[in-house]
Amino acid sequence: MQKAIKVMPASVKKRVAPLSTLVVVLLGASALLQKQIDPTARLIHKGEQNLTTVSGGLNNEFMLLPLLGFREAAAGLLWVRCDEFFHSGDYDAILPLVRIITLLDPHAENVYVTGAWHLSYNFTDSSERSDRRYIAPSEALLDEGILNNPEIPDIKFEKGWQNFDKIKNFTEAETTLKDCIAGPRHDETGKKGSDDFPFAAPLKTLHLLAHTYEKQGRLPEALEEWTRARARTEKIRDEDKAANKPENYSNKQMWFAERHNYDEDMQRYHNRYTTVKHDAINPSNPPLPGVLWPTGPGISPQPWDVAFLPKVEIKRAKVFRISGRFNSADGARIDVRITDWNYKDRPLVDIKNSFHPNMAETILVDSCSVRKGKFDREMDMSKDPKMYSFSEPDYKVVLSYNPRTTSPHLTDRYGWSGEGMKDANPDHVYLDTRAPLLGTAYIAGQGATGPVWDGVTVPWAEHTQPIRMIKVTYKVSRRQIMGEEPITDKDIVPNSE
Amino acid sequence: MVPLAIARQTVREALRRRVMWIFLICGLFLIALGPVFGFLSPKDSQTVLRSLGLAAILLAGLFITIVTCIYLIPVEIERRTIYTILSKPVQRYEFVLGKFLGGFAVVFINIAAMGVVFLLMIRFQEGKVPPDMYKGVFLTFFQMMLLAALTIFFSTFATPVLNFFMSFGIFIVGNLSSVTESLTTSRVKATQIAGTIIHYLLPNFGNFNIQNTLIHPTQEITNPDVFIKQNILYALIYSAVLLILAVIIFDRREV
Repeated sequence: MQKAIKVMPASVKKRVAPLSTLVVVLLGASALLQKQIDPTARLIHKGEQNLTTVSGGLNNEFMLLPLLGFREAAAGLLWVRCDEFFHSGDYDAILPLVRIITLLDPHAENVYVTGAWHLSYNFTDSSERSDRRYIAPSEALLDEGILNNPEIPDIKFEKGWQNFDKIKNFTEAETTLKDCIAGPRHDETGKKGSDDFPFAAPLKTLHLLAHTYEKQGRLPEALEEWTRARARTEKIRDEDKAANKPENYSNKQMWFAERHNYDEDMQRYHNRYTTVKHDAINPSNPPLPGVLWPTGPGISPQPWDVAFLPKVEIKRAKVFRISGRFNSADGARIDVRITDWNYKDRPLVDIKNSFHPNMAETILVDSCSVRKGKFDREMDMSKDPKMYSFSEPDYKVVLSYNPRTTSPHLTDRYGWSGEGMKDANPDHVYLDTRAPLLGTAYIAGQGATGPVWDGVTVPWAEHTQPIRMIKVTYKVSRRQIMGEEPITDKDIVPNSE
Repeated sequence: MVPLAIARQTVREALRRRVMWIFLICGLFLIALGPVFGFLSPKDSQTVLRSLGLAAILLAGLFITIVTCIYLIPVEIERRTIYTILSKPVQRYEFVLGKFLGGFAVVFINIAAMGVVFLLMIRFQEGKVPPDMYKGVFLTFFQMMLLAALTIFFSTFATPVLNFFMSFGIFIVGNLSSVTESLTTSRVKATQIAGTIIHYLLPNFGNFNIQNTLIHPTQEITNPDVFIKQNILYALIYSAVLLILAVIIFDRREV
């Protein structure tokens, strides 16, 4: 049979060449256009992890969505799933989901904030004590969130809050909160359309910064911050009034709270410090009360002897009894820290693939309240073997009293740097001279270094009054913790960082 | 005029296809469900509604486009109705163009329908419709237009089943444009060459994915309007390339 001959019209043959040329030219044009588009596309997808990184943890149905370009939809659905796990109490299931969601959608700020909160606060033992090993990954997650979302104040605020409330690192809290207030352009302005416009950060950031200053004993700066916050609230109320809007009671309440806090700080400043010797050089306008000069022989009042007498016993394997005497008013709390001997605080962690910390580490942080000069508390670490593995040979048990983290009425009594307290046993007095905890040199002659604040020429940042804490450190072995040998005062070792 | 007449007929036939309606209804249903998912996570209800809505439009649009366009030419050949058309003074290129315009119109109708429902849901939940939301729907439409052109191109020489998988596969690869772009700077020469070919020669569907800036308003790009115009131009140019190639292949094809 003859093969069919393909006959193509001449007109069709004629146009193949020019059409092919046109295709090549248009392809070239599209490639050039793609090159123009690429930088902007890169910016949009900045922070998104390569799918191979993410896909390892995703089920098939969720894998399809990112492949088709629905990263955000996959992230949203996974977050809804997370919420269900949270409400059903399945906290362990949340961690890998949070990691995948933030890799899929690095701009889901709520996931960073909630995920970090979840890590720091919700992993607890049977006595509701937080698992401190999760704090480092929590901080790392927040740092990642801040890097991917510099415009969003909420993540910075969360980091500031965690350092204030959980970690009690007030210096880090101050740095983060100031950065939050300053905004990404360092001019305290936010983007138009943002919730806090024209400001970069919500009002609560100023409040928390003021409290952070209070904790560090920097009352003039705290007073300044309350003044700024009040001015901002007044501006909002005035604008509402000028626009004939009905009174916003939330703003009204905020204003009263700010005024109350300002007055309270002023009262504390006045009570704590006298007007002796500093009126002439007091820089504030109107003049604030002056600063107390150091006590010395013959000058009253003298520092109070807290006569700390601790006792650490093992009731049964992994069950501690922390008891003793502390000569103080009610409201004091003795901080207890039980860790591996070589435990490192705030280690560098790699959270690229998971948030899980080193599960072999042991750390417990708790406190005992002091009543009528005594404290007595049992700390059972036997019920949570996963959290307290006790896999190391030696452990550190630290009992301490920090005048900055204690109740305000005691801070007022003992001073922010413990100027008003002492212990007859000098080994119990510990000067915390780590750079982040250096205080303001209100008082000379109490372990301070550097110039004494004169209120005029010496700025706050140069003050170096370290915290005078009451601290006792025990070195105990695993055998002792298992109850095979007793813990005695012979196990007390010199205090260190 | 001839392509328009073919387009009109194509639209009428496509709208009679039940499978297209099923995908459209599923898409509308998913969009309408957006507020319900938001209810499960109240703090993120806005994010969930926007991300789900845009994803539903894209997903439904994807299947509608592919399923509609894979049959436009092969069905005519199979039923032999193409002889009736080509025996009239209708050039092959007019036929291809008419089919493309018809498919394009069907895509437009579907995306518009879903877009309207999506924007209504946003209005219902947020009280207003941010102008940026229109851009999301708009870009999705051009993304689907490019996909329609790709599917029509494959339909000139491939069976519908093969066409489905090829179009779907290239859509997935095209969505990985951030990955292919990173390959162009690879230290391994072979990977660099392969990445460059894929990134610049295959259609980049990932360019049109701006959901992140719509879902998270704090994410901004400089000159968003310029970016959108660039993408529209890209879609038009690349669609033209695919249609010209389709014409060249169809001209030589025996029907």
